[in-house]
Amino acid sequence: MGLNTEVLKYFNKVTEDPGQEARRWKEETGGKVLGFLLTDVPEELIHAAGFLPFGIYGGEKGMSLADAHLQNWTCSYVRSCLALSLGGRLDFLDGLVIPQRCDATRMVMGIWNNQKPLSFMNNFRPPRQVERPSAKRYYLGELKRFKKELEEYRGLKIADDELKKSIQLYNSNRTLLLKLFDLHRQDSSLLSSRELYNIIRASMIIPREKLKGLLIRLLDTLNYKSPQKTDQKIKIFISGTFLEPLEIADYIEESGGTIVGDDLKNGFRYINGNIPEEGDLLQNLAEGQLRKIPSASFDNSINPRRNFLVNAVQEKRADGFLLLHLKYCEPENFDYYDIQQVLKKAGIPVQKIETEFGDTSLGQLRTRVQAFLEMLGGVELV
Amino acid sequence: MSGKKTFKTAALMKELMKKNYEDGLSAGKSGIPIAWVTAVSPVEIIYAAGLFPYYPENFGATVAARKVADKLSAVAEARGYAHDLCGYARCGIGDAYASEHPVGEIIKPDLLLCCNTQCGSLPKWFEVAGRFYKAPYFLLDAPQIGAEPEELVTNYFLEQLKELIVFLEEVTGKSFDYDRLGEVLYYSNEACRLWNEVLDTAAQRPAPFGFFDACFHMFPIVTMRGTKEAVAYYQVLKDEVEERIKEKNYAIPNERYKIYFDHIPLWPKLRWFSDLFASHDALVAVSQYTHSWAYSFDRTRPLESLAEQYTREFVNRFFNYRIELKLKLMRKYNVDGFVLFSNRSCKPTAIGLYDKRNIINNLTGIPGVVFEADMSDLRFFSEEQILAKLDPFFEQLKFSVKK
Ligand code: SF4
Ligand code: SF4
Repeated sequence: MGLNTEVLKYFNKVTEDPGQEARRWKEETGGKVLGFLLTDVPEELIHAAGFLPFGIYGGEKGMSLADAHLQNWTCSYVRSCLALSLGGRLDFLDGLVIPQRCDATRMVMGIWNNQKPLSFMNNFRPPRQVERPSAKRYYLGELKRFKKELEEYRGLKIADDELKKSIQLYNSNRTLLLKLFDLHRQDSSLLSSRELYNIIRASMIIPREKLKGLLIRLLDTLNYKSPQKTDQKIKIFISGTFLEPLEIADYIEESGGTIVGDDLKNGFRYINGNIPEEGDLLQNLAEGQLRKIPSASFDNSINPRRNFLVNAVQEKRADGFLLLHLKYCEPENFDYYDIQQVLKKAGIPVQKIETEFGDTSLGQLRTRVQAFLEMLGGVELV
Repeated sequence: MSGKKTFKTAALMKELMKKNYEDGLSAGKSGIPIAWVTAVSPVEIIYAAGLFPYYPENFGATVAARKVADKLSAVAEARGYAHDLCGYARCGIGDAYASEHPVGEIIKPDLLLCCNTQCGSLPKWFEVAGRFYKAPYFLLDAPQIGAEPEELVTNYFLEQLKELIVFLEEVTGKSFDYDRLGEVLYYSNEACRLWNEVLDTAAQRPAPFGFFDACFHMFPIVTMRGTKEAVAYYQVLKDEVEERIKEKNYAIPNERYKIYFDHIPLWPKLRWFSDLFASHDALVAVSQYTHSWAYSFDRTRPLESLAEQYTREFVNRFFNYRIELKLKLMRKYNVDGFVLFSNRSCKPTAIGLYDKRNIINNLTGIPGVVFEADMSDLRFFSEEQILAKLDPFFEQLKFSVKK
């Protein structure tokens, strides 16, 4: 546990009931909230149109509500998001944006629209090849289309300086979050793994202006006690789609470890990648997306995911690599074997662990994490 | 069960398949590059560039039909490829690593061309294969078409076709032959026309030809589209179907109902299903699957036409379009019921079927049912569970009043 500051408590409160911030914001501003599935959505555009982008990061309860619509072999993240909506827990949403990264995200919109139609429902379709010139031209076109549809929904054009302000705000939030990540990496007694990832979740739902203030305050408090020591803990790099459930972070820490890096949708992938604030802003957004860190949905041959991961592990001096296999996530599953082979060749200990939204077998998960950490020389727990 | 004689064309088909496989093997030997391609991809470009197209999905279907999917899959699963991945991909990857090849070895690629209109499994599978065989991989990316204007997607695809041509010119060291492309498009058009004329006979009552026949005869339209041989094959098949009409030789002995079926058949249980439906006097007449190959390319603007037709295929379409397509086919063949196969291998066609069933049922009043299984993997097949769904459906058929 890190410093239990007021701000950290606040972040905890926010993620305990993700809707409350959005509801309050709606009451105060009369604005509209657009939910989005994670990640790779150009939130800056949504924000510039005056809407609150609300990241639906899934939940554990009431998953069975999705059973009548999504087969139990569908990705549990998508199942859990639909279940949240069916259970009335996203009723404050005015719209929904689904980035298409896999067959589950390509197909779920129709069901959602059939069950819980909202006034703005939009698929967002980034290119899946990111290297050839056609990708950039297409992505720019898709951004323009998306922008136009936001403008029609809003009834007003998005002005250049509105977009610029949003990009600036997002850039500063990303920078602040990355600083927090660094701080955590240096000394996890200041900010624990769980606290860090919880903040990243909260950053997807808190109104972004307010978020900025909170992050600055938090950094001030933490910097005040600037890192004195380098962590002696076992450094773990986690990879996959989601850190879910968050308890995994606890299990790592209680076994003497700490998370030093990741490529997750609710982790580094979300907070990384600032957008240049000058020049053609849409173009900058497009280039930013195409330059993003590789993932199963957007792998490329210039910076293949496997090599990227090996480099990241070495750069962060991680002692071990924990592969979080979100059950039924197809794109990810195709990558595991080759990733493991390349890591092993590089001499990096790797362990794959199966996770699932709404799965309650925490005990097993804990045992697995502990066993891996023990193998790496961690604390033996009774 | 069904009393009809097998198609004479069946023997021809076996020859054709064998020859196609041998052509692939000898192409490799004589220095013609082998290009892995996907079922709904502009293979016409590959032919025109002088390469030999090979369809690993067809390999997957063959493995499934020969009931050995579990064996090859196990090899992939031992490496951590989960059993929930598409069965074709699992078997393809399994065969790469396997020491035994129960249906003959998959033909190794010199390059891989994947078009992702169909699904997200193919690009991932091809990426893995590209690494395994150390062959270059080219993704033809097709964003899904929904309510948005389509031009954005077709222009993107067109630009990629041009990129593909440059890529192929580099691989082959030859400049791309547009005249040859025109010829290939002609053969594709002809094969598609004949194929669809054959499919259409399933609308007659009683019909000489149905979905299970189509599954048997679809190999050339999927994997030899663009060749003379495919055209010749469908001409012979069409003649035979017409002969059958004259002879009153029908697909099932007592056709009373026509059924719409989604999507891919359960390959290892094709016979079981066809007998089951026939025993209830129900002819499965139509499926979006067999009807997917219905191109008619404009040879005066070949690349544009390829881009338009391949991106606008239903596999690249949104929920509502797919419902409309089903309704259109159901109307055209005047079906009495519909059966939707929730195929756990094939997420893009299975996800949403429960909602679609309800919507179609509400709109038409026609009985419809969804059942769960896997197109290739018998570990997910339960005769009991399927009959528990289908038996009440057949009962309903009897009582539903024909419009
Ligand atoms: S977790 Fe995997 S399957 Fe699920 S939405 Fe994300 S990419 Fe798709
Ligand atoms: S997921 Fe479906 S469309 Fe894709 S290869 Fe498998 S069966 Fe074919």
